[in-house]
Amino acid sequence: MSGLHRSPFHGYSAEFSQYRHYRPGDDLKYVDWKLVARTDRVYTKQFRETTNMASAIVLDTSGSMDFPGPPVTKFRYAVIAAAALAHLISGQGDAVGLLAGERVLTPRAGRQHLRALLAGLSSLTAAGGWSAAVNVRRASERLKRRGLLLVLSDFYDDEEQTLVELRRAARMGHEVVLFQILSRDEIELPYRRDLEFADLESGRTLAINAGLARHQYTDAMAAFLERWHSRAGAEGFQYSLIVTDTPPERALRNFLLARRR
Amino acid sequence: MLWLNPSALFALAAVAAPIVIHILIQRRAERFPFPTLRFLQPTRLAAIRRHLLEDLPLLAIRISLVAAAVAALAGPLLLTSTRRQLWDRRTVRAIVTETGGSWAVGPEQAPPLRQETFAAAILADGIRRAILWLDTAPPARREIVIASAFPIGSITDADITAVPAGIGLRFERTGSLPSTRTVAIGRLLTPDGVRRREVTLTGVQTASRDVAAREPVSWPIDVVSSEAGRPGIDAAIAAVLSQHVWAAAPDRRARVVLVPPPTSGVVQAFTAAVVSGLADAAPIIQPWMADAVARIARDPDLRAAAVRVADGLADARFAAAPWQPLACAADGRPLAVAAGSARGVVVASSAPASDVATPVLLRSIADAIADVPDLQRAEVVPIADAALQRWSRPPLPVTAPAIEMIDRDDRRWLWAAVLCLLALESWVRRARSAQASQERETEQARVA
Repeated sequence: MSGLHRSPFHGYSAEFSQYRHYRPGDDLKYVDWKLVARTDRVYTKQFRETTNMASAIVLDTSGSMDFPGPPVTKFRYAVIAAAALAHLISGQGDAVGLLAGERVLTPRAGRQHLRALLAGLSSLTAAGGWSAAVNVRRASERLKRRGLLLVLSDFYDDEEQTLVELRRAARMGHEVVLFQILSRDEIELPYRRDLEFADLESGRTLAINAGLARHQYTDAMAAFLERWHSRAGAEGFQYSLIVTDTPPERALRNFLLARRR
Repeated sequence: MLWLNPSALFALAAVAAPIVIHILIQRRAERFPFPTLRFLQPTRLAAIRRHLLEDLPLLAIRISLVAAAVAALAGPLLLTSTRRQLWDRRTVRAIVTETGGSWAVGPEQAPPLRQETFAAAILADGIRRAILWLDTAPPARREIVIASAFPIGSITDADITAVPAGIGLRFERTGSLPSTRTVAIGRLLTPDGVRRREVTLTGVQTASRDVAAREPVSWPIDVVSSEAGRPGIDAAIAAVLSQHVWAAAPDRRARVVLVPPPTSGVVQAFTAAVVSGLADAAPIIQPWMADAVARIARDPDLRAAAVRVADGLADARFAAAPWQPLACAADGRPLAVAAGSARGVVVASSAPASDVATPVLLRSIADAIADVPDLQRAEVVPIADAALQRWSRPPLPVTAPAIEMIDRDDRRWLWAAVLCLLALESWVRRARSAQASQERETEQARVA
């Protein structure tokens, strides 16, 4: 799986990447004169630079991730996915860091660092509140140069604030990848009985009949997912909705294949 | 339908308990941790909206259960024709015999539901005890069989009247009449005191025996006379006692006022004692006084003694009401007249205290107000068959059974219904519980 991620840096090395319109100041040696002859337009060739990349995994540790309960919660699923991603990144010789709640690991390469990161992941628990915006900001600032920002969350936080920080990270040159991890039950709300829903983060409760609330809920949830999908696409983020009833390896494979395309 | 314990019906208010419980006990919504509430809209709880409707069959079963239990406690009794026929087919029999006597039911008669024998020295006492026993018997035709030789006086019309109309009466002549019979017939006033007289009847012979009673002589006649006539009065009373007169009841008394003859002219002046003795004279209204006056007036000894007295009562007032003549003197005027009063019979007499007419009058009065025994009742002869047939009557069917004596009511059916409803309620409740747990497991499996 090595080589499946690309560097965010577009330099001038051996591997051709793309053409772009000539801008004043570009080195004339990269102008494709043959293309100028054919098209009467001036294009400059760009080459992909293969470098060591720094990655930061931002993991949502809020209480809302502790659903739908044992054995596989969203949080557990996210930890497995984060560990797999860290393993892949580290296996390519790239640096990988972690920002999960209070646990912060600066991006580094090497097997020892990977072990420390995996140990840190295994000791995490999902509880309380968690701000995606704050953690994205902290992670993007910890990446000293342009890198890869992997965010695994259900994104139930303040959408606008989170989007502002993600946009800011992108402007800093980081490639932003979003994994929205949800369970099937919270997408479809397959209950019919009277239930007193208790918010896993705030503890607030709401007693309703799930069957009666289902239609409105699924509509609102679909709108929420569509909103994230469209906004991520508009901002140039790579977005993946992962449902926890999908095996993690299949979800990651799909992600990596999509990334290759 | 009758209720043996109708006060238990107040417990029907308990049927409100299942209703109240169904209303008050709502199924609490199960707490369910969820990632976020932001997409959930408040809705009505199904438990509040549909709980009563969903549990209506269970509620109906529970209400029926409580109502059936209350009805069973109240002791229902359906008065069906079958039940009435059953009651009318059975008999409760009380046999009254004289002490030492016996009577057995013939083999041709069906055995009664219950039977009890009451032996008594006096048949009337046995009949009273039999009536009390029959009142405690379960619903059935009730009958009193009186077995005796039925000597005259052993049963009277009053004894038969005391038997309630629904109870049948049957008379079985058994045994033989006693050869002799000794009865106490009354008390006698004698110079030696009060004596009780017993009469023994043997066949056609009669013998009497007086037994001294330890009680003082209560002479029933007050005599108002002059002081001069007092010795004559005492002698007259002693003479009457020496002939033994029947004692009167304590409330039956008489007062004899000896009116002195007029001294001059027609207008007679009475002494204060005489005036006082005659003051409360009034018309006779008490039956016993009227009987006594009639008996005195019919006394031939008094009439014979009266005609030997020369002067009768001269005062005109004694010729009019309320006075009634008892006997006439030689001059044709009444020697003695009688009237009533609040304290007894008042007799005015013109006979001198020393005259023989006075003790005859006192004896006649004493005999008239006394209880004269009726020896006919003591005779050793049987009550006529015609009288026994007239008293006989069949037991009537049961019309209004005594609730407290119902031996078998319909509560057992209701208790059986209660048990069935209890089983049904348990089954429905368990079915609901199993269904709910199955739904819960299904959801949990889906979540897992």
